[in-house]
Amino acid sequence: MMEILKKLKILADSAKYDVSCSSSGSKRTNQTGGLGNSASSGICHTWTADGRCISLLKILQSNNCVYNCSYCVNRVSNDLPRATLTPDELCDLTINFYRRNYIEGLFLSTAICKTPDHTMEMLLQTVKKLRKEHNFHGYIHLKAIPGADNLLIEAAGKYVDRMSVNIELPSERGLRLLAPQKKHEAIIKPMNFLTSNIAAGKAERRKSRKAPLFVPAGQTTQLIVGATSDPDLQILKLSENMYKRFGLKRVYYSAYVPVSHHPHLPDISSPPLLREHRIYQADWLLRFYGFKADELLDDKNPNFAEDYDPKTDWALRNLDYFPVEINRADYEKLLRVPGIGVKSARKILTARRMHSLDFEDLKRIGITMKRAQYFITCKGKYSGPTAMEEHLLRPRLTLLPPHTAGPEQPSLFSFSSDVIAPEDAFTSVSGEI
Amino acid sequence: MLDFVYDGSFNGLLTAIYEIYYRRQVPQQLLSRSSQTPKLFVREERIITDETKAGKVYEAIDNKISSRSLRHIYYAYLSEHMEAGIWIYHYLHLGWKLGNKLDLLLSDERVHRIHRLSQKVSMERHRLLGLLRFQLLRGNIYYAALEPDHNIVELLAPHFAARMADQNWVIHDVSRDLAAVFNRKEWLATDFTRQHRLELLKEEEYYQQLWQEYYNSMAISSRINPRLQKRCMPQRYWKHLVEMS
Repeated sequence: MMEILKKLKILADSAKYDVSCSSSGSKRTNQTGGLGNSASSGICHTWTADGRCISLLKILQSNNCVYNCSYCVNRVSNDLPRATLTPDELCDLTINFYRRNYIEGLFLSTAICKTPDHTMEMLLQTVKKLRKEHNFHGYIHLKAIPGADNLLIEAAGKYVDRMSVNIELPSERGLRLLAPQKKHEAIIKPMNFLTSNIAAGKAERRKSRKAPLFVPAGQTTQLIVGATSDPDLQILKLSENMYKRFGLKRVYYSAYVPVSHHPHLPDISSPPLLREHRIYQADWLLRFYGFKADELLDDKNPNFAEDYDPKTDWALRNLDYFPVEINRADYEKLLRVPGIGVKSARKILTARRMHSLDFEDLKRIGITMKRAQYFITCKGKYSGPTAMEEHLLRPRLTLLPPHTAGPEQPSLFSFSSDVIAPEDAFTSVSGEI
Repeated sequence: MLDFVYDGSFNGLLTAIYEIYYRRQVPQQLLSRSSQTPKLFVREERIITDETKAGKVYEAIDNKISSRSLRHIYYAYLSEHMEAGIWIYHYLHLGWKLGNKLDLLLSDERVHRIHRLSQKVSMERHRLLGLLRFQLLRGNIYYAALEPDHNIVELLAPHFAARMADQNWVIHDVSRDLAAVFNRKEWLATDFTRQHRLELLKEEEYYQQLWQEYYNSMAISSRINPRLQKRCMPQRYWKHLVEMS
């Protein structure tokens, strides 16, 4: 018993830097009177002291790694307690946590034990047991191991809801430097394989509702921000490409948490959280707001500003696009207004079917005017407290709390969590920017 | 001035709305129970719940307005907000004129406040789909206690009936003495007060300990952010969370 407790602690500890915790997007149902189903919207079950949601039992099957990636706690050269859970132990944990409603399901990852094939086989065995022996229909997110045989990945895909391959770092150069045993092509290969199989699976389902599910909640990936010198522009371009080329559901970003000292790693005391936050905001803009990476950043400004969210920053540089007339602008145009998110834009479209809207109406339907007022007109009227000129708007829209706003140049690794202003803080979680 | 007092049931509320039209008398408030403090200039009139009358109002909403509005009304009723009753009446009164366009009139206070209540209730429902915690009792019953702001037990039950389909479970609203009870086939809502102390199965403590251990090891110490944590998971829900006690 104590044995499991110890293992759980070790393997959870090692898994916590994986950021994805989403349980959304699947449609697995509980048809057989067994245990579990999936909620397409995803459900959070608790929040840790760092404010991140726990939805899935996120755990490594083993942290006994043969690789030595310098940014990773589990690298072979790190002196750290090691453990491996058997498939049965993992099933028992998952099922019993699930029955008590602690979790939506399992997010199973692992270090590389012996070989990629051996590792993938171990994962496959666990998820197969859960589905076949335990009649479990809850959510499963599984890592696909780069370098493992496609047949193993394909077999696992039949049992799980989501799969992901971590691209780890935003550039090949970074990978060579910090994870010399991982090859860029080896990472791209399973992604490609999953993309085509997911598409094929979907096509089968269109022909017959009885066709088996294959990774119904799609594929995601994750990369570390701030362990290499790659600028935000490169990261965002990479994500844009991932969404287009691989049809990924999400790209997750994790601020590099200093876990070791290494000549190739930045010497920082805390993870670059504000930078991570800005990239998440921009990621929403790519996926739901019709923005392109090139619009948000360019070679002259390859990194996001600290003091403006990416949308406001874009608006300030493109004032000729504004003001937007609330009663006539289409959905895409409304979404470009700082302070009007997806929900607000939809509400405006709905409400104006009944009558044209003035500022009072906007407030009444629950649109926050704080940022939006500078960029809109209602029935031709502008109500911003100042003329729409960049030098007047900038000081009013800054997100930095007054005491930190200053001439200081933002540097790549200087961000820390306490500079995220309260009104700014939630936007990368809710996606309403 | 006049207040209508109904018995607290949804049918009671619908009956009261029926009576408003039948008697051509619009009260100040539609209350689910007598007000605690006697009011000097207010007369209270008791409304006797009548299923036929309630059924007529129910049908009228569904046919003449929309099933969506009906859902908003039900959710607003479950909010147990003091003024929910009379707000629902004003919302419906507008609804008879606007028909299925009622819910588009977002800028009208009568519509907006019902949507706000309904939104609060569905938000709390969604939250508790995640935050509910079952404990395994002697006799193999999974028991969950909660004290929600709104009366949402009936909204939670279908979710868990589909999900924990092979378990016997009880979801107990401790503050309202209500429960949803499931016997692996169907669930029903019932009045419920717990008589005895909970008798946990031995293995229950073991899994609770594992979960606490897991929960604690998931936080990244360099990212600690209690404000964000409380914003996502308000403290009033912590009492029944295994990992927070």
